[in-house]
Amino acid sequence: MSGFRLDQGGRVDRSRRVSFSFDGATYRGFAGDTLASALLANGVMLFGRSFKYHRPRGLLGAGSEEPNALVSVSRGPGRHTPNLRATAVEIYEGLAATSQNRWPSLKTDLGAINDRLGMFLPAGFYNKTFMWPRSFWDKLYEPAIRRMAGLGEAPSEIDPDHYGAVYAHCDLLIVGAGPAGIDAALEASGTSKRVILIDEQDEPGGGALDDPALWSWLNESLKDLAAAPNVTVLSRTTAFGYYHDNFVGAVERLTDHWAEIGSGPREKLWRIRAGAVILAQGAIERPLVFAANDVPGVMLASAARTFLQRYGVAVGKSVALMAAHDSGWRDAFAHARAGVNVAAIIDVRETIDAALLAEAQALGIAVRLGHSVIEVHGRLGVKGMTVARNDGSAATRIACDALLMAGGWTPSVHLWSHSKGSLAWDEALGAYVPDRPNEKVRCVGACSGKWNFGSGIVIDALPTPRNQARIKAFVDFQNDVTAKDIHLAVREGFKSIEHIKRYTTTGMATDQGKTSNLNGLQIASQALGRPVTEVGLTTFRPPYTPQTFGALAGHAKDDLFQPTRKTPIDGWAEEHGAVFELVAQWRRARYFPQGGDDMHAAVNRECRAVRSAVGIFDASTLGKIEVVGPDAAEFLNRIYTNPWKALEPGRCRYGLLLREDGFITDDGVSARLTPDRFHLTTTTGGAARVLNTMEDYLQTEWPELDVWLTSTTEQWAVIALQGPLARQLLEPLVEGIDLAAEAFPHMAIREGTICGVPTRLFRVSFTGELGFEINVPAAYGRALWEQLMNAGAAWGITPYGTEAMHVLRAEKGFIIVGQDTDGTVTPHDAGLDWAVGKKKPDFVGKRSLARPDIVAAGRKQLVGLLTDDPAVVLEEGAQIVADPAQAIPMTMIGHVTSSYWSEALGRSIALALIEGGHQRMGEMLHVPMPGQVIRAKVSSMVFYDPQGARLHV
Amino acid sequence: MSEALARIDPVSGSAVFANGVTLTLVEPMARFSLRARQPEALEQLLGFKLPRKIGASLDCAACLGPDEWLLRAAAGTKIASGSGQPVSITEISERSVCLIVEGARAAEVLASGCPLDLDRFAVGRATRTVFETVEIILLRTGEDRFQVEVWRSFAPWLRTALETAALQLR
Repeated sequence: MSGFRLDQGGRVDRSRRVSFSFDGATYRGFAGDTLASALLANGVMLFGRSFKYHRPRGLLGAGSEEPNALVSVSRGPGRHTPNLRATAVEIYEGLAATSQNRWPSLKTDLGAINDRLGMFLPAGFYNKTFMWPRSFWDKLYEPAIRRMAGLGEAPSEIDPDHYGAVYAHCDLLIVGAGPAGIDAALEASGTSKRVILIDEQDEPGGGALDDPALWSWLNESLKDLAAAPNVTVLSRTTAFGYYHDNFVGAVERLTDHWAEIGSGPREKLWRIRAGAVILAQGAIERPLVFAANDVPGVMLASAARTFLQRYGVAVGKSVALMAAHDSGWRDAFAHARAGVNVAAIIDVRETIDAALLAEAQALGIAVRLGHSVIEVHGRLGVKGMTVARNDGSAATRIACDALLMAGGWTPSVHLWSHSKGSLAWDEALGAYVPDRPNEKVRCVGACSGKWNFGSGIVIDALPTPRNQARIKAFVDFQNDVTAKDIHLAVREGFKSIEHIKRYTTTGMATDQGKTSNLNGLQIASQALGRPVTEVGLTTFRPPYTPQTFGALAGHAKDDLFQPTRKTPIDGWAEEHGAVFELVAQWRRARYFPQGGDDMHAAVNRECRAVRSAVGIFDASTLGKIEVVGPDAAEFLNRIYTNPWKALEPGRCRYGLLLREDGFITDDGVSARLTPDRFHLTTTTGGAARVLNTMEDYLQTEWPELDVWLTSTTEQWAVIALQGPLARQLLEPLVEGIDLAAEAFPHMAIREGTICGVPTRLFRVSFTGELGFEINVPAAYGRALWEQLMNAGAAWGITPYGTEAMHVLRAEKGFIIVGQDTDGTVTPHDAGLDWAVGKKKPDFVGKRSLARPDIVAAGRKQLVGLLTDDPAVVLEEGAQIVADPAQAIPMTMIGHVTSSYWSEALGRSIALALIEGGHQRMGEMLHVPMPGQVIRAKVSSMVFYDPQGARLHV
Repeated sequence: MSEALARIDPVSGSAVFANGVTLTLVEPMARFSLRARQPEALEQLLGFKLPRKIGASLDCAACLGPDEWLLRAAAGTKIASGSGQPVSITEISERSVCLIVEGARAAEVLASGCPLDLDRFAVGRATRTVFETVEIILLRTGEDRFQVEVWRSFAPWLRTALETAALQLR
């Protein structure tokens, strides 16, 4: 044996040396090593500093349950991954790993002063101490605590990696490729079932990897599975969550173990829908609770055996065992047989199976029964331990450089619990085991509590003659929670494990208490004097182990973050320099700057063109729904506030949509094409919601109606032509429609053709000018737009964007649902009483309009607001007060919802929601702003052409 | 003035992606959404049979729901309006475009974002589903050939998503 690597044994490939670095120092290991096994082989015991006390920490486990040895791996810009468990990081040539939560170095960490101050840092310390003064928390306490206590640094650069995703379906999903999982897969391999077997480690085998006697069985089994066409085996794949209907999320790590990562995806998210699930997740060994049980070199006995058998690494030159369970004895024997000196086996139990005693004797191992470790010596690594009889007598010091703990086993019931399967307390195991399933799932092997590791006793903490208040016996290694902290929580009155967990933070670290939950429960149970089952059990939540955000985000970044919906005319706008804004998923041209125009200049120019000549606007994003069937009019009559049955074909009507609570949720102009066919429009952002709402009513409330809804938003490109010259421009292009004012009045629809393509031509106006909205099949939208631009050049046609549209509609007092309403505005509040059918027997929201609060005085109502100084444009959202001289905090009576410079009026205009607004006409109100108070007078909402003379031409 | 306007599609004609997967934009066609409680009402009106089973397709009609069929036909096809009948016939020719995803690994590309069990999605099946967050209608026209109907504003995103998925097949 040279160093800690044994001369032989293990599954590592001794013919392939791999060099890597840890905290800047270069080491060598073998292909097949993890960072943990390779560093151990080099004699490194110190892996990190603990979360709170900055205590030196080594390895506790050998797998994904590891709470201590968290490292960061960096492999170039944006590729920094913190908080990886060293036991799960495979080494590759050039791997660069660093330790965390230490300064200036792992061996000399100034933060370790916290350990000396430990008695002043009990559970709840931060909550108790840093409460006052309140203002210190944000700037001083929290940043300082964050610097001291912490995990690795979050990456600050954009992640350049790709992450794939797939949906997979199988008849049987098996989670965990240990012997039980492999057996289940073999059993299913002869069937026609589609089987997926997933395992989080770099090779399948689970516990069999630690037992050379099983390796030939493992090889044969894996060969059989590889040959089975119906079985897919996924390694390096962690099932992180179990959701409804046997839906399991898993992440496959594809490139993290490669020296060259290439261009493919780094990880792949598997979204697996399974007919049935078998959980074979195994069990995790439990640490024992005693003083200084966290010194580097104190670890789970099973982990030491894994390092020994699987990696050919001894965790020490002279190891000792502290056992409460038989399984540890076998681990110690394996060490002795491999030539590692076993200094002693200490067992808290008084009597032990004779066969184990005989084997220990045969191997020449000293045994002390009825003893416990009461202290571990050494700070950066184990130098020895003091043991005593359970009654505290006969304290003896024993030299060793590693101490194995065998505290029994905890079945991994995480995924079982995600699936809402119930658990039963098994007194003999001192653990919860799966009981009744909630999905089509069963547990096999150790995760069902069935194992052949022998027996043991369940103990909350090892007996000690020392003052419990003066020792640190760790329960949760990652969050630095000691037995003392849990006792304190109980003394301070916490009775439920849910509260004890939150107060002490036990089980709340990234390892979710895989090694600590049961010990924490036992200690709480003892302290409370109540059985474990009455103390409760905290909830298991996904993810089983931490996962990258990248894997969960998948392709949803950059171009694929989410669809940006573009209209058929968007390309023209882009080529002509439009400035865009996002409205729901759509991008819309906000304004079209020319030359050095700023937004203000561009919008003023666009507004002037609409009021004096003709403007052209892309309204394609408007939601459109075709409502067809014999009961179409009846349906609309029930949905909208106003009457629809008498609307003549060829005419349009403004529709107002309320929620059940009587508040406005959408609006739009709709047309009756024929007696049983309507063309509805909705707001851009409301399209999908309105269709869903209508479909909901149709299917659940009024299934008797013969009417069907079809979204036609994308069927039509919509071009609005608005302005006094609109008709002259349109006339030569349209066939089959008489555009004359008397033949085609305001709020009418006609069908015909324009430039040779079919059109639904609306005569409607959201600007107050003579206007048309031309609907053509979407593919022709862009070409028609260009034709109109050509034809309109002589008329001064001007494209305008959503900003000018907003100004023009505000000048007319037309509301925008969602801007001038906020979900608490009724038709009356918005001045839209005229749109409510008083004689209708019912419509959605009608009953709510009679509620006392809805008809009470003093509701906020929508009104116009004109500033004293016409040059001042109010801020949207600005608060309004009646008396600016009142003391702060002032009574706010409303706020500005829309505010613009009106080029047509040569002054600013605004809309505002104000308490009792309708009764305040002419009243002077005040808008306090930084440095000044702006005076503004309540006015009508219609600022421009109140008689509508410009519409009816 | 009646000169024909040029059509413009939201995505370009055809492309070969990685791993032998090709994407082709289908020529324009006529599309209608047909709705009725009783398929007979539509059959009488239109003069052809409609598939009865949800997810089944027959000639150019696919049954998408208990009272819903998608009819696809040659561009310019006109059919009865259904006026006065207890049916709804709505033209949606330009609402969507159709992309053909083809190749030995076409199903794998689609499975990257579509939660359907494509092993169990036989040739001839048609259904409304999603690709990640985007609604699509998926039709299997051959073992290695799928048609994807997608609303036009989502087509560029979907094309990029399918291309990315094809590139990342291992």
